Amino acid sequence: MANSNLPRRIIKETQRLLSEPAPGISASPSEDNMRYFNVMILGPTQSPYEGGVFKLELFLPEEYPMAAPKVRFLTKIYHPNIDKLGRICLDILKDKWSPALQIRTVLLSIQALLSAPNPDDPLSENIAKHWKSNEAEAVETAKEWTRLYASGA
Amino acid sequence: MGNKITDELITTVQSIVGQDYSKMDVVRALHMANNDATAAINIIFDTPSFKRSEPPKSPRVSSRDPIANAPDPATRSKPKSVNHVVDDGPSTSRSVEVNVKTENEVVKEVIRSDKWWFVGCSEVAGLSTCKGSKIKAGDLVNFTFPPERSLTGPSPGKFGGGGRGRQPAACSEIVRFSTLASGEIGRIPNEWSRCLLPLVRDKKIQIEGFCKFAPDNLGLMDTINLSVRVYINSSILHKSHQTPLKAPNTSTDETSIHPLPTLFRLLGLVPFKKAEFTPSDLYSRKRPLDVKDGSGVSARLIHSSKTKDPSSNGSTVENEEIISDNDLDNIVGVANGSELEEMEPPAALLCDLRPYQKQALHWMVHLEKGPCIDDAATTLHPCWDAYHLADERKFIVYVNAFSGESTVEFPSTLQMARGGILADAMGLGKTIMTISLLLAHTERGGSLDSENNEVGNGSDQSSSSSKKVTKFSGFDKLRKQKQLLIGGGNLIICPMTLIGQWKTEIETHAEPGSLSIYVHYGQSRPKDAKILAQSDVVLTTYGVVASEYSSENAEERGGLYSVRWFRVVLDEAHTIKSSKSQISMAAATLVADRRWCLTGTPIQNNLEDLFSLLRFLRIEPWGSWSWWNKLIQKPFEDGDERGLSLVQNILRPIMLRRTKSSTDKEGRPILVLPPAEMKVIYCEQTEAEKDFYDALFKRSKVKFDQFVEQGRVLHNYASILELLLRLRQCCDHPFLVMSRGDTQEFSDLGKLAKRFLKGGKEAMGEGKEMPSKAYIQEVVKDLQKGEQGECPICLEAFEDAVLTPCAHRLCRECLLSSWRNSNSGLCPVCRKTVSKQELITAPTDSRFRVDIDKNWVESSKVSALLRELESFRSSGSKSIVFSQWTAFLDLLQIPLSRSNISFVRLDGTLNQQQREKVIKQFSEESDILVLLMSLKAGGVGINLTAASNAFVMDPWWNPAVEEQAVMRIHRIGQTKSVSINRFIVKGTVEERMETVQARKQRMISGALTDQEVRSARIEELKMLFT
Repeated sequence: MANSNLPRRIIKETQRLLSEPAPGISASPSEDNMRYFNVMILGPTQSPYEGGVFKLELFLPEEYPMAAPKVRFLTKIYHPNIDKLGRICLDILKDKWSPALQIRTVLLSIQALLSAPNPDDPLSENIAKHWKSNEAEAVETAKEWTRLYASGA
Repeated sequence: MGNKITDELITTVQSIVGQDYSKMDVVRALHMANNDATAAINIIFDTPSFKRSEPPKSPRVSSRDPIANAPDPATRSKPKSVNHVVDDGPSTSRSVEVNVKTENEVVKEVIRSDKWWFVGCSEVAGLSTCKGSKIKAGDLVNFTFPPERSLTGPSPGKFGGGGRGRQPAACSEIVRFSTLASGEIGRIPNEWSRCLLPLVRDKKIQIEGFCKFAPDNLGLMDTINLSVRVYINSSILHKSHQTPLKAPNTSTDETSIHPLPTLFRLLGLVPFKKAEFTPSDLYSRKRPLDVKDGSGVSARLIHSSKTKDPSSNGSTVENEEIISDNDLDNIVGVANGSELEEMEPPAALLCDLRPYQKQALHWMVHLEKGPCIDDAATTLHPCWDAYHLADERKFIVYVNAFSGESTVEFPSTLQMARGGILADAMGLGKTIMTISLLLAHTERGGSLDSENNEVGNGSDQSSSSSKKVTKFSGFDKLRKQKQLLIGGGNLIICPMTLIGQWKTEIETHAEPGSLSIYVHYGQSRPKDAKILAQSDVVLTTYGVVASEYSSENAEERGGLYSVRWFRVVLDEAHTIKSSKSQISMAAATLVADRRWCLTGTPIQNNLEDLFSLLRFLRIEPWGSWSWWNKLIQKPFEDGDERGLSLVQNILRPIMLRRTKSSTDKEGRPILVLPPAEMKVIYCEQTEAEKDFYDALFKRSKVKFDQFVEQGRVLHNYASILELLLRLRQCCDHPFLVMSRGDTQEFSDLGKLAKRFLKGGKEAMGEGKEMPSKAYIQEVVKDLQKGEQGECPICLEAFEDAVLTPCAHRLCRECLLSSWRNSNSGLCPVCRKTVSKQELITAPTDSRFRVDIDKNWVESSKVSALLRELESFRSSGSKSIVFSQWTAFLDLLQIPLSRSNISFVRLDGTLNQQQREKVIKQFSEESDILVLLMSLKAGGVGINLTAASNAFVMDPWWNPAVEEQAVMRIHRIGQTKSVSINRFIVKGTVEERMETVQARKQRMISGALTDQEVRSARIEELKMLFT
């Protein structure tokens, strides 16, 4: 079993995620691979994503926590920092990773990213352009996408 | 004289002379006229320049000149007939009294007042420096003193301003004289100028003079006879002759020639009481110095001779005879004290004294009495000369033959040392001897002083004058200050560890109610002198004394310093050995009638150690660094054995030292202790231990060899000692090497916080963000509370936690593995760049990297110890286990607990009460068999005779420290035979340390020169690494 040599840190994190989940976030490990997490993030209130339920996948690489977890949106989302494959542009997932961060802090950061899109550091050029040229319209699109892809599924 | 000038008189006079004259003028005139209103009015009207701005320089008409016959009062009351006024200078006008009866001698009266006292007059042979100048007998001369350095202001002693005014700057030592009419005439001899100059410059004296004889036709270098009168500023005499303590090594202090005694000699003043002990004694004895003979010097100095055996309060005195001069030699030769008298202890002492202890009691009581009390108060201190001044007021001035200090206060022998050094070797019972002394005689401080005042005033022929003297202001001030001190009982100052023991010993050995005890210790100790003075015995620590001494304002010191102690006892007196240390100054500043030093090691490192003790004891003149340095320290250091023999002579009468091997009159040892068996237990390392040790040794040796190759052994002394430390610890138990070495250093959390904040500041300069002060304090508080917390990386409880400069705590391992680079990286919490060197090992409860309890393994040494302890278990015989490392004591607790050997522990972390509790527990509870003790904490004073076995787990560099610890059990009160065991692991650095210890002994004894010490140190280190 892959679980047998799972680091204590991952077990601890998992236990805590399950016992005291962060508000608006749920993360549960996959049955057959404890390093693979199914994640759901509720769209933050007063954001274009409000009311949406976003699915993500999170994988802890072998080097974790010395290397960052790999996180990807599974639910389609209209966001300047997230591309159509669901990859996320977030510094702590790349060069600003620190072993003092955890799954919980990563997911909280992603939740925050939904509240505060940053079109100046885009991953998805088109969406970013849209956001900058006509934010109201872009927000409307985001709301639309949320309704289309992230509602209740 | 001395009548009060009444307001009535003043008004009367003023109404006649009118408001042109101020009240002060009137008062002065009345004073001059001896309160005769008419005479005063005459003075005012007949003296054109009466009104002046310098009241203190008022002429005193009423002065009686002891040389001239006293003019009768009638003459004086008609100043018009005898006074004329000469305006003799541009700066000040002076009235000059022409006394008809002094055969034309014109005497210029300087300022004869309460302030200026006439010292005496003398003839001086001046040399003319000018040809053809005119001077005749009776001509007034002015003296010109060269200004100090290039200062051009007129010297205080320069009268008039006439003369050709040759610039005197070039010849700075020459004092010239001139007349108004002819200008400069000549100069006075160097001998005179040398002693006049500093005194005049300091405004301590004034001089005046006139010509007595001069050749009619003056040539160069002709002799002119002058008559010179010297006045002394009385204010300099009104200072205490017990000079305030100052740092002892001022270079200017070096001169032992003091102008005042020289001046007195030139003036032909002969002390009517001569100092018994003078510098010339020392010098003259120095040449042929015969050691045997020299003893007389110190004997006289101390006055322990001629001592009448006192019948002191409540004590039985065996011997009432006066000690003869022959006996004196025996007292001086105290070192082999077998000949000393014994004295039965007072009844209030509840235990028996051994004969040698009775001898000590007798000796101490004697030394405290000094010369018989009545004599003491009236006997002049042997270092002081007494002079009658020529002044008609019959002043007496006392001058210290050594320091040149002068005073009008009678320096009686009471100010001399009363007390000494009880230097018996450890374990002979210095404490009990001291307690018997406390019981034999205890009063309140200051009782002697009051006697002194009465007797001093009423005794010798100077009585009337000394009464007069006390009227002068300034003089009383000091006395008042002394009287402000409350008379207290005994003050015993000891190291913190010993306070409890002193208390218990007094309580057990003194009859209940005979001595009240108060422990002056702790934050909340009262500062009220009354509380301190109430108790017969006040116990305190050196720390408390130093802290009360260091209060910023000397006047507000209060506490121990507001009491005049009957007796001060310094236990472990070598604590004050370094004379410049605050504690040394603090101790010497205490006011006390009797002073004692208790120490088994009066000289620990250096002869200089003694200076501090002598200064505390007030053994004059050795309390003055210049004398000590000149006559003892320097000669000693230069290898002149006279220095040492002088010390021996000083010490002989005031120091009592016996050792355990000292014998009594019959040649029997003075103290028979149960036998002590010394044993070295050699241990063999197990294979695993040996491997570990060898690996460590090889690693250390590589480093050491590097230092040797670079020739930087001594520069890296600290790191080498660290290497050795690890090796030595490894001999105890390999776990110790795994203990986290730097924990100790930073275990003081306050220090830790400081380092953070400091680090914070440095980094600020680089513009980096730093954690707020509040955050750091929070972290430190957490640490203090022992908050466990978890590592942010492994999410486990910290294991070998480190702190980053940004105050984040992580496991060392976690942090380091998060870095790509092995020496530096980002702080995982705040991303600040951190280098490995900046990491601080966070203090935690456990100082081992490994969980010692779970992984416990016995080292060979521990096994050996357990075997020994096991063998004592059935007999219930108690043991003390000493180690230098508290970490090792930590380790030892594990096997002791496991084998159910109950133990207590004493180390430096315990406070006073906790220590007392531990010692009491160990001594009284029969099931507690072992006391774990750190070598340093248990070094001094503690009495642990309940134990009969001592185990010294690791050798210490200095064998004396080991010995001192072991002597805690092998001392008076020990009834069982004692075994002392030292552990040495074969084939290790410990074995070689034994050799080094022997060398060390030689080094300490000063047998090697500096260069030899250096090379010896390298040799020694090389030896350890073989």
